[in-house]
Order: sequence, then structure tokens, then C-alpha cells
Amino acid sequence: MLHEMSIGGMLFSPFVVLVPLAFILSAATRLATHYLGLRRFIWREAWFDVAVFVCYLAAIVYLFGD
Amino acid sequence: MGKLARIGVTLLVVVAAVFAGTWVWDHYLYSPWTRDGRIRADVITIAPDVSGYVAELSVQNNKIVDKGAPLFSIDKTRYRAKLAESEARLAQERTAWELARHQYERRKRMSDRQTISEEDLEAYRIRAELAKASYQLALAELNTARIDLERASVLAPESGIVNNLTLREGNYVTRGTPVLSLIKRDSFYVIGYFEETKLQMVREGQKARITLLSGGEKLTGEVVSIARGIADSNTTSDSQMLPQVQAAFNWVRLAQRIPVEIALDPLPENINISAGMTVSIYLETDRDKE
Repeated sequence: MLHEMSIGGMLFSPFVVLVPLAFILSAATRLATHYLGLRRFIWREAWFDVAVFVCYLAAIVYLFGD
Repeated sequence: MGKLARIGVTLLVVVAAVFAGTWVWDHYLYSPWTRDGRIRADVITIAPDVSGYVAELSVQNNKIVDKGAPLFSIDKTRYRAKLAESEARLAQERTAWELARHQYERRKRMSDRQTISEEDLEAYRIRAELAKASYQLALAELNTARIDLERASVLAPESGIVNNLTLREGNYVTRGTPVLSLIKRDSFYVIGYFEETKLQMVREGQKARITLLSGGEKLTGEVVSIARGIADSNTTSDSQMLPQVQAAFNWVRLAQRIPVEIALDPLPENINISAGMTVSIYLETDRDKE
């Protein structure tokens, strides 16, 4: 999706869609790990969450990026 | 689970994120793509080869014409009259040549009997030559008049679509002044303006994916050539022939864009494209194929 998004005649970067998508996925992962009690295996939670977000973003760009 | 394993899991994810983030960064900043592309076509500008009033207009705006089909014709009255005049002139010159030749032939026989001077005979010979040259000149003029009459009907040099037709019957058209344009059929191609920072990744023969501004189906194509020059604004000079050097920032610079020509593969059906449309272009790199 290197192609721009047209919303009401205004053009936006595809990141406008891809970034919230990755954010939702990482929030879901955070919730899941929390309820499954997996968070005790994590050393630095903030680092982990940011890293997971970036991985998701890359995966989404790879899959829907064009 | 030991502390070492906890640290290991987190660091593993972080390292993966660093690689993934680098890939996303490269993908957006250093892969050869541009949003600045245009569809172009071969445009033939049609200018009449003779002047005159448009007597008949045979084409409609935005409609296809075949190669050799008449586009419009110019009032032929003047060119027919010119042709008749040239024919008459030719007949006159032929007769004059015959007369001069006859006179020369006769005096040639007289010279055998020593009744005409050498000089007179030579003058008659030259006069006959002159009449012959005049005849050939009239013949050439007749040919020109014939070409003019023929070219009063303007034919389509290629199959194509008549574009922006403002010509009407009765308009006066002047020789050599374009009056309509013809977009050659199936001659669409794409020019992509790639930033100079990405130009090293562009190769001839590279596959291209082209998206219209309206989105939808992607077109495909292939890089044909890369422009080998764009204008440098620093080379213009003022009235004193001094170069006009543009001021520039040291660190903030805009990458200039280089035109790259892309040939389109056969178009999918039900797709309307017009020359001048905006497209985004993504070129496939070797990395994509892996």
C-alpha cells in the first residue's frame, strides 16, 4: 500500500491505517499475555511492548505494503 | 525460569524489532518508488500543408480515426484554378519550344548553303534551349500545383483519437499552423519522476507496478530508459552574460527528480486512461524476487 489513501479527496500516507492496526494488535498481545500470566517471563515490559509493536508494523507493511 | 531466560526472551524480541524496523525504514525511504508519475502518449499535431477555408470536416472530437482516413479538406477552388493555369502555361511553353526548335532546325539547313551567319545560328540554338528550359519549369510548376490540390485533403497519418477539436467548417487555416492533435492509438506510456537518491536502484528492463490515482487495478510495465539530462538552473546567464547562481542551503536540499520512461504492458480491459493522468510507480528490485 505504497499507494496513498484517498479520504474525501485528501490523500494520506498508508501509515495512517497501518500504524493503528499494529497498535491494536500489540495492545491485544499485551492483554493476552497479561491474562495468560506470561508477563512474568518478560524482563523489561516497556521494551518488550515497543519491540512487539515494531515487529507487528513490519509484518503488516510486508503483507499489505503493496 | 531463571533471570537469564527472561532477559533472553526480551532481548530476542528487541533484536527482531531492530531488524524489522530497519527493513520498514529502508522499504519506505530507499526502495525505488515515486508518487510523481504521469501517463503520456504520442501526440501528432496536424497542420495543413496549404492555406484556405475548411470546406469539410470529417472527424468528431475524441473519436477514433483510422490511418489514411480524411480529417478535413480545404476549399479547393483556388487550387483547381491554379492547376488549370499551370496546365495552360505548360501548353504555351510547349508551343513556344516547338516554334524555337522549328526555327533552329530550319536555320541549320540554311547554314549548309552559307546563307546565315554562324552567330545567328548560335543565337537560335540558344533560343531553343531557353524555350526547352521554360517548358521544364512550367512542368515543375504544374507538378507543384497538383501536390497543392492533393494536399487540400488532410489525411490521418496514423490511427488515433482526435483530441481537443476546435476546428469548424469555414475556419481559415494557414499552412504550417497546427489545428488539431491526434493521439496515436495504443501509444500510452508512463514517465516516472524518480528522486535522484533512488535513481541508482533503477535499471532498464526492471518491472514496474503502476497505480492510478483512482486506485483499483494495478497496471504493469517495464523500464525502457532513464533520462540522461535535466536542466540546471545555474547555467542561465543574465544580460551581461554572468551566470545566475541560485542560493542554496548547505544541509537542507531537495532531491531533484529524473524522468524514467516506462512502457506499459497491454492494458486490462474496462480501464480508461488518458495522457496526463497521475500515477504512483513502484519498481520491483532484486530483493523482491527472493
